[in-house]
Amino acid sequence: MKKLLAASLVATAIAGPAVAETNLQLVEVITSPERTKVLQGIVSEFEAENPGTKVEIISLPWGQAFEKFATMVSAGQTPDVVEMPDTWAALYANNGALESLEPYLKSWDGTDKLNARTIEMARSGTGTAYMLPYGFYLRAMFYNKKLFKEAGVEKPPVTLDDFREAAEKVSALPGKYGFCLRGGSGGLNGWAVFGATTAGTDQFFDEEGNSIMSTEAWIKGAQFMVDLYQDGLAPKDSLNWGFNEIVAGFYSGTCAMLDQDPDALIGIAQRMDPNDFGVTTMPKGPNGKAYPTIGYAGWSMFSDSEDKDASWKLIAKLQSRDANLEWSKRVGTLPIYKDAESDPHYNTPQFAGWFEELSDPDVHPLTMPTHLEEFAFFKDSMSIRTSQEALLGRKSAEELGKEWGDYLSAAQKKWLAKQ
Amino acid sequence: MTAATDLGAHPANRQGVTSRRFLSRLEPYFYASPAIVLLVTVMMVPLVVGLNYTVRDIRILNPFSGGYVGFAHFEAVWHDQNFHNALFNTFWWTVTSLFFQFFLGLMLALLLNRTFPGRRIIQSLVFLPWAVPAFLSGLNWAWMFNPVISPLPHWLFTFGILSEPTNILSDPDLAMWGPIVANIWFGIPFFAITLLAALQSIPGEIYEAASIDGASRRQQFVSITLPFLAPTIAITLMLRTIWIANFADLIIVMTNGGPADSTQIVSSYIFTQAFRRLDFGYASAIAAVLLVLLLAYAVSIIFIRRSLLRET
Repeated sequence: MKKLLAASLVATAIAGPAVAETNLQLVEVITSPERTKVLQGIVSEFEAENPGTKVEIISLPWGQAFEKFATMVSAGQTPDVVEMPDTWAALYANNGALESLEPYLKSWDGTDKLNARTIEMARSGTGTAYMLPYGFYLRAMFYNKKLFKEAGVEKPPVTLDDFREAAEKVSALPGKYGFCLRGGSGGLNGWAVFGATTAGTDQFFDEEGNSIMSTEAWIKGAQFMVDLYQDGLAPKDSLNWGFNEIVAGFYSGTCAMLDQDPDALIGIAQRMDPNDFGVTTMPKGPNGKAYPTIGYAGWSMFSDSEDKDASWKLIAKLQSRDANLEWSKRVGTLPIYKDAESDPHYNTPQFAGWFEELSDPDVHPLTMPTHLEEFAFFKDSMSIRTSQEALLGRKSAEELGKEWGDYLSAAQKKWLAKQ
Repeated sequence: MTAATDLGAHPANRQGVTSRRFLSRLEPYFYASPAIVLLVTVMMVPLVVGLNYTVRDIRILNPFSGGYVGFAHFEAVWHDQNFHNALFNTFWWTVTSLFFQFFLGLMLALLLNRTFPGRRIIQSLVFLPWAVPAFLSGLNWAWMFNPVISPLPHWLFTFGILSEPTNILSDPDLAMWGPIVANIWFGIPFFAITLLAALQSIPGEIYEAASIDGASRRQQFVSITLPFLAPTIAITLMLRTIWIANFADLIIVMTNGGPADSTQIVSSYIFTQAFRRLDFGYASAIAAVLLVLLLAYAVSIIFIRRSLLRET
């Protein structure tokens, strides 16, 4: 036994350095067991194509990813490649932690095949690509055909007024509600959508850096949300609902309408008959336009990565057409490649809802002000507490709009001063 | 001449005695030094670092940019409405949890102090909650309050406690009861264990003598059991108060401080400031305030305990 151990130790001592010359660390932050499996598959292909390169995957559970990753970075434990949600990018890019991907994008053969939005989002905020999106999350509206029929709603709502009317009709059914409101974590997008749709703009700030959230029109949109809740058109529980709860609320038939991204489709399609639900464009506001939020996540490289070429190679592999297409299908995002929309996976009636929405000239995807360092705290903490106070009637919609506007205006002005 | 030799010998002799005395006085410190070194490195150093943060602008992603800000953080804490709300919630959370944990724990200890068949098995079962990780019990209790999965809200509705079977965790007026109930369940065994140990150390002869003298059960409890338990009660109450006041795990898992901050306590607020806003300076200042409050509480309890010991 001892001899065997000694022999194997010697063997690894000799063979070890010869095999693994480059070690890369990759951190994924939006995790689920299935996602990690897909990632592992792509990464092992990468390792096979690049002998001598080893990739260590570190998976942080999404619930605690923000603080865990920030702690890792501040302790100097930076990975080579990291999965970067749009809301964090400015925080790390502004603190000089990320490497510009511009020189790599210039020489990469995939760059031309990406759709325009991808490059635009990669550069949003800073003007430099510090991350390359792997897919998009665009809000569209899921609706329950069965419940609509029972309640006598003839067609999916087109305007905010239709939406309110449909919600009222469904809520008249015992134990049923019109809207799966997301009052808890991640709820900010809903407020942004209804606020922007009522205000009729996709701009969060004017040129001086004042937030639209303090304007009367935007506050009207916030009031619309508050009324939905207080008039009993959304479940009482929904005050605390996050992603899992709203999706469960929809597929269990508790509430009939849900504003969500394609990733919700994964869970819903598993549990509902495809004929029982549909996906349509978000309701349009007084000016006839809709403003669904668009979000994204992508891959970033850390500026103190020891082997930047290998790190880029890994990103290029993850973003290569086949790997990326597989990834976006399994993760539930809209693809980044121009030609991917014709893929059979995206040719279902449900997905058509998103592509219709994207091709509608009256739909303007709304990008959240993720370029602000202060945004992550605003989204994950401040907005949840204050919007819940508004839903409960402890704070008026005006007070809410003013508080949010003041916070974001100050952040935007600070950002403008730095430009 | 003799005087001179005497004079010469005397100081040397005295010196020997004092140095020996000095060494013998130093001896216990020498034996205690490993513990002292350990305490200083693992407790005092982080404490001093943390206190140093309170007067600096420390942002976690840019830790060295932080300059000296004086007492600005403390001033901000003083005016911070959310902190005041969290302080009030901490008080409510701690007192209610402690009250029920203690009385239920005491009842359990008194019951387990009797002999009955199967006592050992029941004793070990009773201590089970203590062995479950806080995170897991938080998740379990969060499910128990969910009307879709658990019968609990429906029972509460049947008994007329709730007007409809809803999730109390999303009702700002009731939400705090969720983590409190989980905490009571979680904390009873601690009191049961410590109080049972104290009960078993009371000599049986005292009770025998008392019953020969004609003391009733109630009189025995008030005049023998309680005084014997008093020092243990004081110290366990003190320890538990500090633990519960600092114990945000159940709250973070079950409600994350919500809805609308109705379950935010000071320690979960510190967590929010440090890890959501990434502002370590401000978080440290709040932590220092909590430290001072708990220290003041601990000192007063220690005084009470001392006076109790003197009486008995």
